[in-house]
Amino acid sequence: MSTEQQIQSFRQTWEALRAEIGKIMVGHTDIVDGTLFAIFAGGHVLLEGVPGLGKTLLVRTLGEVLDLSFSRIQFTPDLMPADILGTNLVMETPEGRREFQFQHGPIFAHLILADEINRATPKTQSALLEAMQEKQVTAGGEMRKLAEPFFVLATQNPIDQEGTYPLPEAQLDRFFFKLLVGYPSAGELTEVLNRTTTGAKAQVDKVLDGAGLMGLQTLVREVPVASHVKDYAVRLVMSTHPKTESAAPISSQYLRFGSSPRGGQTLILAGKVRALTQGRFNVSFDDIEAVAPAALRHRLILNFEAEAEGITTDHIIAQVLSEVPRNAETVNV
Amino acid sequence: MSELQFIESALKRASRRRRLEGLWRGFWQGLLAGALVWLLVFAVFKVLPLPAWSLIAAGIAGVVLLLAGLLIGAWPKTSLLATARWVDDKQHLQERLSTALEVASSPATGNWKNLLVADAAQHAKTLDPRRLLPLRLPGIGRWALLIVVLGLGLGFVPEYRSKTHLQQKKDAANIRETGKQLSEFTKRYMEQRPPVMEPTQKAMETVAELGDKLGKATLTRSEALRDLTSVTDRLSQQAKELGQNPAIKPLERAAREPGGTSSQTPESLQQQMQALQKSLGDAAANPDKLGKMKNDLLKAQQALSNLPDKNSAAGKAAREQLAQSLSELAKQARDMGQSLAGLEEAIQALQNNQTDLALRELQTALDDLEKLRDMAKAMQQLQQQAAKLGKDLAEQLKNGQAQAAQQTLQKMIEQLKGANLSQEQLQKIMEEVSKAVEPGSQYGKVGEHLKNAAGQLQKGQKPEGTQSLAEAAKELEKLMQQMSDAEAMMAALEALERAQMAIAMCKSWGECNGTGCGACNGMGCWMCMGKGRGWGHGGKPGNGVGTWADDTGWTYFSDDMGRWDNSGIQRPDMDSRGHTDRPDDLNPNLVPDKVRGQMSPGGSMPSITLKGVSIKGQSSVQYEEAVAAAQAEAQSALNQDQVPRAYQGAVRDYFDDLKK
Repeated sequence: MSTEQQIQSFRQTWEALRAEIGKIMVGHTDIVDGTLFAIFAGGHVLLEGVPGLGKTLLVRTLGEVLDLSFSRIQFTPDLMPADILGTNLVMETPEGRREFQFQHGPIFAHLILADEINRATPKTQSALLEAMQEKQVTAGGEMRKLAEPFFVLATQNPIDQEGTYPLPEAQLDRFFFKLLVGYPSAGELTEVLNRTTTGAKAQVDKVLDGAGLMGLQTLVREVPVASHVKDYAVRLVMSTHPKTESAAPISSQYLRFGSSPRGGQTLILAGKVRALTQGRFNVSFDDIEAVAPAALRHRLILNFEAEAEGITTDHIIAQVLSEVPRNAETVNV
Repeated sequence: MSELQFIESALKRASRRRRLEGLWRGFWQGLLAGALVWLLVFAVFKVLPLPAWSLIAAGIAGVVLLLAGLLIGAWPKTSLLATARWVDDKQHLQERLSTALEVASSPATGNWKNLLVADAAQHAKTLDPRRLLPLRLPGIGRWALLIVVLGLGLGFVPEYRSKTHLQQKKDAANIRETGKQLSEFTKRYMEQRPPVMEPTQKAMETVAELGDKLGKATLTRSEALRDLTSVTDRLSQQAKELGQNPAIKPLERAAREPGGTSSQTPESLQQQMQALQKSLGDAAANPDKLGKMKNDLLKAQQALSNLPDKNSAAGKAAREQLAQSLSELAKQARDMGQSLAGLEEAIQALQNNQTDLALRELQTALDDLEKLRDMAKAMQQLQQQAAKLGKDLAEQLKNGQAQAAQQTLQKMIEQLKGANLSQEQLQKIMEEVSKAVEPGSQYGKVGEHLKNAAGQLQKGQKPEGTQSLAEAAKELEKLMQQMSDAEAMMAALEALERAQMAIAMCKSWGECNGTGCGACNGMGCWMCMGKGRGWGHGGKPGNGVGTWADDTGWTYFSDDMGRWDNSGIQRPDMDSRGHTDRPDDLNPNLVPDKVRGQMSPGGSMPSITLKGVSIKGQSSVQYEEAVAAAQAEAQSALNQDQVPRAYQGAVRDYFDDLKK
């Protein structure tokens, strides 16, 4: 298949996925798009929103439209790492011998829904670290590869924080996007009510299998990026580093830590996906700007002043985007 | 053309347009910067006394800024990639062109290259550089035009200068001008009459250098006056030393007398008289006749100007009568050997009924006649001078006619050297020399040499006598050279005084010629020496008379008043009242009362009432001449501020009315 055909295929798949998900999901197109961006880029997504906004539904629908294995893990304070990864059990063989056999945990699936991830203890949360980054787990002293493609779609509730364990920065950084799920509009809510309070249940079709998805992920990575667009992404990331020469004033004022290099990778990769979805063969400044909030908001660590003043990372990102020029003669890298 | 070439071509066009736009913008930016600089300096110039070169510098800076703006605007030659990025941004092409160019230049890009280039080429088709960058007047251009208009408008605003500054400027210009004039005058004098002695030469050179310095440097009035005073001081001392030689006093006295002939020889006088005689013909002997002719011409001129209507019979008759009288005058002129071309032309014009032309020609004839009269007068003066010339050596020495005496001595020497000298001639020479011993004694060694010569000639020692006469002649020449140097020194001092006066009173060099000598045109002579500078031949008032000069001004020369012994000088009555004789037994009623001067600016002038009868007799001076002389005197007095300011207007009006 030629590149042009691949791109055509990507576009068709993209539209089909959106259409199928749209059968179940009402509104939240940006959340759907963001999730799909992350999947095509091979990244994990953290969905944050109050209960009942369709976070889990979205992930479940995604599991249905993608011909991939799907696991759901409901994180609770008493959840243990072994409950996720799996454990060695003493099993009796047909010959009557007893031997240890590894019982795979729910992590061994293509698509993982980590529901209310912040309710588990840090110990359990950290069990996901290796899986998310290395796409492998180590259990019982043995390293086991996870099936590809592998995605973790985690949700967390910003309210009812008692008894929760905020995700550590290291783990947050491993998420490709952090998407904020907001309330639906009146029209959307009406549609939700129409769909969920009647007997009819929408059926979705499988659109894409794992192999196809991985092929499209490869295609995404081939999308060319002009050097000055890369420079822009770099300057954006650099401008979030407080108290440095390249820092934006607001970053120095309100940030304790800026974005890691993963933020830059995310900007470029997500930009590539967005370019393809828009029918372009190159990444533009607009692509970078469009994906910047989702890519950077969980990678910026606010300082006490920002917390006290109610400054959010989204506010800082918006300010940084307005301050950093698109074209610059020199790039401080 | 490939798609990539198409993109590059479109980008090149955009780049050229961008450069043009840069040039356009640069021009306006440069104009704004230049105009701002100019406006700023010009505005400051309007309120502060900046030197004139600052305006020129600002103008140059403005032009340089304008050119710099153009250069900076057109200088950056952007690369295609940079142009592509710029077009992407301007046309919202989502970095298609720039990415395509970049990818196209990289080696391993596969199919993406084709896709990108094709996509970019598709969008490049819509690229129109003129629409993208229309050459409109930029916002900065409006400001630039406003500044330029302001600058032009400011040109109509008068400059503000304080009175002190204006005065200083006037002073500086006056000092420079005076310095130039002083230098020119001194150099010209040195060229015409080069001093003989080295100290005099140096003194003159010092004055010329001072003039050059004043002419070039920017000095304040006090500095210039200080320099002038310093040089004047030295020169005065030198002149004093030079004038202490008693031997040149007779020469000085002779020169000071009216029609002084110290430097005139009988031959030169004869030559001048012959030249005048040649020009004048018979008219030389008849200056009165020329005067009468002039009066007749004036009457004719008046009659011509009042001629009745030229077409009337009366007018025709008057014209004929006038033509006849003019013809008679022309005949008289011809009889005197003179031809007044203007008169002939006037008659011709009158006959042709051209009154205006006749009037003009008549005026020409009058001018010619006036010149003839002047020449006749000069002739008379020369004749008087010739009459005063001493007949022999003794008289010449007595009259201080050194030049003539020297020539007489030379003649004697030649006669003595001659082989065919008769006894009678020798006797005559001996007598003349013996007679000249006494008057010659006042010329230092001249008398001694003459005495020796007389003795030697009586003893028959002709060669020795000749030698003594030659030494006497040499001594006389030496004295004349000394006098010439003293004259040079005096001329330099006159010039310095004039410069001081000009600078002190802030008047031009030409206006400060009140102390100049009319006889020598300020070049210095014995006529103006020792009279206390300020009293020239015309009897002009001198230092401090009617002036308000300060202590450091030209009144400084009052110390030199006693330099020359002028007690024996008989001054002519040069008052401007004419040559009316005044008997010694003047009616006491005609003696003017002394009225104390009262200053009342704006009020009526105090007048002096003279009682008694009017002076009887007939004036030998024409009324017009007396009026002209009086007006000249009055003008001179006015120019020298000898008349109180409050009365200057009234004085001027009075003398103007005299003309009517």
